[in-house]
Amino acid sequence: MSAPDPTPGHEPGSGRYRDRMIGLFLLAAALFNPPLLGLFGVGGSILGVPALYVWVFGIWAAVIALAAIAGRAR
Amino acid sequence: MQTGLDWAAVLIAALVYLSALFAIAHWADRREAAGRSVIASPTVFALSLGVYCTTWTFYGSVGRAATLGIGFLPVYLGPTLLMLLAPLLLRKILRIAKAQRITSIADFLASRYGHSPLLGGLVALTATLGVTPYIALQLKAVAVSFDALTGGGLGTTAGPFLDQGFLIAAVMALFAIVFGARQIDAAEHHPGMVAAIALESLVKLVAFLAVGIFVVWGLHGGLDSLFAAAAARPDLARLMGSEAALGHAASGGGPWGAWVATTILSAAAMLCLPRQFQVMVIESTDERHLDRAIWLFPLYLLLINLFVLPVTLSGLLTFGGGLDPDLFVVALPLNGGAGWLALLAFLGGLSAAAGMIVVETVALSTMLCNDLVMPILLRTRPRALARSADLAPLLLAVRRIAIVAILLFGYGYFRLAGSAYALVSIGLISFAAVAQFAPALIGGLYWRGATRRGAIGGVTAGALVWAYTLLLPSFARSGWLPSGFITEGPWGIAALRPYALFGLEGWDSLAHALFWTALANIGAYVGLSLFDRQGAAERVQAAAFVDAFHPVSDGVTPTPTVQSDWRSAASVGDLTRVVARFLGPQRAGRAFDGADPDEPAGPERLRLAERLLAGAIGGASARVALASSVSAGAVEAAELLRMLDETSDVIAHSRELERKTAELERATDALRAANERLTELDRLKDDFLSTVTHELRTPLTSIRALSEILHDDPGLDSGQRQEFLAVIIKESERLTRLINQVLDMAKIEAGALDWRIETIDAGQALTEAVAATEALFRERGIALSVDMPERLPPVRGDVDRVIQVVVNLLSNAAKFTPPGGRTRLVARLGDGVLRVAVIDSGPGVPARDRDLVFDRFRQSGDALTGKPAGTGLGLAIAKRIVEHLGGRIGVEDAPAGPFAESGTGASFWFTLPLAVSPSGQGTGEPPVITRKID
Repeated sequence: MSAPDPTPGHEPGSGRYRDRMIGLFLLAAALFNPPLLGLFGVGGSILGVPALYVWVFGIWAAVIALAAIAGRAR
Repeated sequence: MQTGLDWAAVLIAALVYLSALFAIAHWADRREAAGRSVIASPTVFALSLGVYCTTWTFYGSVGRAATLGIGFLPVYLGPTLLMLLAPLLLRKILRIAKAQRITSIADFLASRYGHSPLLGGLVALTATLGVTPYIALQLKAVAVSFDALTGGGLGTTAGPFLDQGFLIAAVMALFAIVFGARQIDAAEHHPGMVAAIALESLVKLVAFLAVGIFVVWGLHGGLDSLFAAAAARPDLARLMGSEAALGHAASGGGPWGAWVATTILSAAAMLCLPRQFQVMVIESTDERHLDRAIWLFPLYLLLINLFVLPVTLSGLLTFGGGLDPDLFVVALPLNGGAGWLALLAFLGGLSAAAGMIVVETVALSTMLCNDLVMPILLRTRPRALARSADLAPLLLAVRRIAIVAILLFGYGYFRLAGSAYALVSIGLISFAAVAQFAPALIGGLYWRGATRRGAIGGVTAGALVWAYTLLLPSFARSGWLPSGFITEGPWGIAALRPYALFGLEGWDSLAHALFWTALANIGAYVGLSLFDRQGAAERVQAAAFVDAFHPVSDGVTPTPTVQSDWRSAASVGDLTRVVARFLGPQRAGRAFDGADPDEPAGPERLRLAERLLAGAIGGASARVALASSVSAGAVEAAELLRMLDETSDVIAHSRELERKTAELERATDALRAANERLTELDRLKDDFLSTVTHELRTPLTSIRALSEILHDDPGLDSGQRQEFLAVIIKESERLTRLINQVLDMAKIEAGALDWRIETIDAGQALTEAVAATEALFRERGIALSVDMPERLPPVRGDVDRVIQVVVNLLSNAAKFTPPGGRTRLVARLGDGVLRVAVIDSGPGVPARDRDLVFDRFRQSGDALTGKPAGTGLGLAIAKRIVEHLGGRIGVEDAPAGPFAESGTGASFWFTLPLAVSPSGQGTGEPPVITRKID
């Protein structure tokens, strides 16, 4: 899935893994902050739980899962 | 509170729990000392980062959620974002911290900007002022939750010096001193403390989850019914939407700003809080542990926050406005009749407080000692310090006093501020204080041109603006300053209102402060750096930090003019003394082992001393200490520092040159070795050929001479003829044997021999070998006796080859034992091996020849008597076979006894591995057939 680190032993955080984590950071920074959070965090509820609550914890969990997968797929 | 728990029981439970933490810490320290670290695990590392979650999380999140809804979350989303950048940012910091032996964040910044004591002291001071009130908040949280749990049993009745706050401060001081300042260690690791922190993180997570589950399913029958009940109340329904936290999307400013500002500040705090830097960077044992922490720590944050909103809503439903929401975590289980769960919640809160207090005080005390007190002492009292042979006790005393002082300050602030706004709001205010280090920290990692003056200017400007826009207003809101300070500005100057500086109105106070501090901090940092020149020390350190992953710098010009000054600067003895003073004589002795004390130290040794000292007392102090070490009058201290900088500069440059030279030398050496080996092999081959031809010629000569006589003299009598023919046959046999052995030898050497290694009956092999050589001994009149146990266990080997070895040894003995002598074959069991010895009564082998007799064509007889008595290959073949079978072979003097009268005698022995394990069970291994092809 992922190419091996192109400069092994040189800069450990380099290559695709690092780029992916930066991408994930930017995505999370956008999702965690007001404009998108306010837009998607609408009223209503999912299975009795407020939609905003589900949404925030949902994307939070998704970001954590992606970080774990990115680390494993390295 | 309907029913409080007995305060004495709660107190005892708390003390038992804290004692358990002491025990865990002690155990972890012992394990570390024994080399079996418990903290060298990525999971423990990630858990120790959980020290981020203080009582401000454990109790305070619920309180924030009660007014902000999901507005409590940015404090945890910020660190999540930061962890996503760990591969980029944290890895680099960890790498640098290890290489530079960093002891704190103050030390890190000071080291980056040319080991600046001023910057280090500034950072240490800012951190202490910004964070110590936060310790007061922890003490308060413990005290208040204790009262909530016991119904106010102790705190109000037992006098001012026996309240829970003082008790917890005292216990924490003891813990910090025992596990955080017990010895001066060059690596500044505290495994016991980290183990206790990791456990506390686990306890507070479990406690909060347990409370959450109890509240949701025990008190309200599930999430949906809880949320439904809350939705029926308009004031609570507000908390479940985005408005409380974010305001209307259209309104700009407002809560929006607070959300973003809190996210940024908590990300910065995750990096810059002294306690986070301590557990994440200083205590880190392996930078690969980050890989798991990247997702495990955010997961921890998510889980500990999962039930915050349900607990908040439940608390507001149950208690209305009658109780401080900060206490819901303890009050709800207590009110629900689950006293034990309330106690668990209290212990969770206690864990949160204890972890924060211990790590923060240890980090701050290290910082204060290394970056504030020691540089001042070294500068103001150099002579007093120089007289002392061992400064470790002084360092420890400074740290311990700092720990006690910080906790006393925290306790005093708690008593003084009580429930004032200045204390309640200190969480984010102290985040904002330490965030002032972030620009210089992150900039220093990537911007080579950032200078010391820029960093000092940035931190100073940021800290001043922070004090003006956050700290002073919080004092004003606590009533310690006139309230007009906020509403009208100092002296009535509206433009200076701290929450609306220069007319920037309508902003959340935190976002407002973040904007102005960032502007002042980054502005001063960048501006001053751009118009400043770096000194040599700064250039070197800037390169070391920015190029942490590429250790060789390329932007520095070497200044090779310093070498001559070194002769008078410092001697090895000076360095040993100064290192011994801080790290003890043993470490110093090891570092400069074998060097003449009067020898000039030279740049490399000076660097070594600097690194050693930096690990104990921080980079800035290390340099001052070094400067003070030089014999008075030899060279000015400032001059020495200048030389140290320039030397570092030269060293950085010459290192690559050295590396390349060393590589070249290694390649040359390898080539030379290969060439020598080839020459040697060539010579051996020549020797071998000449010896073989010589050995072949001897029997051939006699065969030829005798057959010529037979051919030329037909009148030879039949007796004579018969005798000659017998000699010819014997010599031909010898020739055949020789050729066979040469071929065997060649095969073994080429690795082309077929081996059939299996479990064999050693007794039978020995018997066969004896039978094959019996005739030889009888012919020469030598008595051959066999001495072996009746039943020998099986051995691993190739039966034909084993027989060959024994035959070779026996024929060797037959050759060298004089007629009438005796030879004995002895087999004994050794430790997992069978030991076979052939003992003769011959002349023996002199000690100097014992290694040589197993070489090809090296016969003892050759050298001693000048008369070749064998082919010279038998022993060499035997040696190669035995070694291939995994045994050993050798020769020693025959044991004294029956043969003592006829010279010393020789005992040729070899061993073979037993096929049976020591327990007596057969391995039943299948035969292994190998054919080695070279």
